[in-house]
Amino acid sequence: MLRIDIQERPNWQKKARDYGFSFHTMHGQAYWDESAYYQFTLQQIERDLESPTEEIHQMCLAVVEEVVNDEALLAKFQIPPLFWQSVADSWRNKDPSLYSRLDFAYSGQGPAKLYENNADTPTSLYESGFWQWLWLEDQVKAGKLSRQADQFNSLQEKLIRQFRKLADHYQIDAMHFACCTDTQEDRGTVQYLQDCAAEAALANEFVFIEDIGLGDTGHFTDLNDGVIATLFKLYPWEFMQREEFAPAILHAGVNWVEPMWKSVLSNKALLPMLWQLFPNHPNLLPAYFEDQLHLCTQSKLIKKPIFSREGANVSLIENGKVLSHGDGPYGEEGFIYQAYCPLPQFGQNHTLIGSWLVNDSAAGISVREDLSAITQDLSRYLPHIIL
Amino acid sequence: MTQPTSHSKRSQQINLTRMRKSFSVKPLALGVAAIFLAACGEEKQDATIYTNADECSTANPGMEEQCQTAFANAVAEAERTGPKYDSVNACESDFGTNQCHYVRSDSGSFFMPFMAGYMLSNLMSPRGYYSQPMFTSYSPYSPYRYRWVGTDGYDFGDNRQRNVRVNQDAFKPKPTVSKTMSRGGFGSSVRAKSSWGKSTSKSGWGS
Repeated sequence: MLRIDIQERPNWQKKARDYGFSFHTMHGQAYWDESAYYQFTLQQIERDLESPTEEIHQMCLAVVEEVVNDEALLAKFQIPPLFWQSVADSWRNKDPSLYSRLDFAYSGQGPAKLYENNADTPTSLYESGFWQWLWLEDQVKAGKLSRQADQFNSLQEKLIRQFRKLADHYQIDAMHFACCTDTQEDRGTVQYLQDCAAEAALANEFVFIEDIGLGDTGHFTDLNDGVIATLFKLYPWEFMQREEFAPAILHAGVNWVEPMWKSVLSNKALLPMLWQLFPNHPNLLPAYFEDQLHLCTQSKLIKKPIFSREGANVSLIENGKVLSHGDGPYGEEGFIYQAYCPLPQFGQNHTLIGSWLVNDSAAGISVREDLSAITQDLSRYLPHIIL
Repeated sequence: MTQPTSHSKRSQQINLTRMRKSFSVKPLALGVAAIFLAACGEEKQDATIYTNADECSTANPGMEEQCQTAFANAVAEAERTGPKYDSVNACESDFGTNQCHYVRSDSGSFFMPFMAGYMLSNLMSPRGYYSQPMFTSYSPYSPYRYRWVGTDGYDFGDNRQRNVRVNQDAFKPKPTVSKTMSRGGFGSSVRAKSSWGKSTSKSGWGS
């Protein structure tokens, strides 16, 4: 695994405009960074990332199976009792999942270590599935990269195939997509999924989360009062389950994407549960619930809120003392503890690997780097190749 | 060293034309869509709109029973899927004076326009007929004035005309259309979380 400088494509900003990639620069800072790329060997990709990704996903499904059958665990995962039955039902009905992203610390050597599972609302999908793919095509055409250069990235192909499966499973030919207002990046991610759905011959409608209505018949509605029968929502289950319309979810008869059982996985309580079920697995970091801390042998720990966005409210603790503390609005639902494992550095940069799954098959990676040790949501996105 | 393309780890093909968003290629996209729609809409069939069961029976001697049943079904379907209003004024402003009635059902009570007719197809077919309720508006404020309209708002043409050619889709059962009672019941958490915090935060909520 190498970080290699490369000339930027001279016209990439114009291309970004043509293809609707509107969030390559955010708040005056570069988000998409093609001044360098990461190079992996095929063995690093297949042995160290692709296989562990699929294996961990299966381990995560084993956690879901445990949790949905145990009220004490559902409570520990902070799932509101109102939804225990629907979470279990969605699991038993095998409601299909669309996608997830596992975040790993990986340096090119040794096993990749799982930081967390973004199983419900992962972003950076467009730049992974499409935009870095296009970068590779362009750079090979321009003679800047070898013709043998490949990329671990079958996202778009697999997303389209999975939309086809969703359509067959739910017997639908149209579905709704939603995200919050005022965020270009989330809207871009959802637009990309709409494009993939369209390629799978699924008609699609968009509605903002805040605009969703509740109809007199108990259905959720779009702004034209159309009934929302199937909804992809880039909005976390842990919020929806606590908001005003939460009780209506039970009777709205929506086919949800992601399905509600994903609320077990997009939850940091997953990490101590994985460690409990699969202790000493090479791709896991030791992790503990608050009431298990006596089992912990590590001196340095990361304390993470059960629900949070990357970086927010995360503290570094050594021998019981807080060394650094990230501010944030999260934490009221409790915390978990994970053994400290710093991100590898390439020059000045701390590098994080996101490994994608479409349903249960590994579908590619994204590489993000940051000058600070804790990945923030403004970390830069860099393309990668396999050679 | 060269890997056969079938072992490539990346998407084999991405339709770049369809991924483009800039305005310059829109006409092409429209062209493609038009062809697609034409191919899909081949299965047109003839249908007739009757204003009541007697009219249907007169036009189809010997089919009195089918005409009656289809009418009753259409009335029920109209109530289930037709437009619903809180007030008689709102309903009349869309459908015209004295065109609305009060309905009480499982899902609540509201004002609805009277069913103006029903569209029938394949009445003679042994495989069964298709029917859909029709509304019409007499309100000068409505784009549906003197038109046949389906419960989903589809305009089937001038209401003096009784014979229409329609897609098979026109007879698909419509979802129970909702009158939206309230909006804004989702999204409060993200407002609460993002009003907090650094100004550099993207304030999106994906992860």
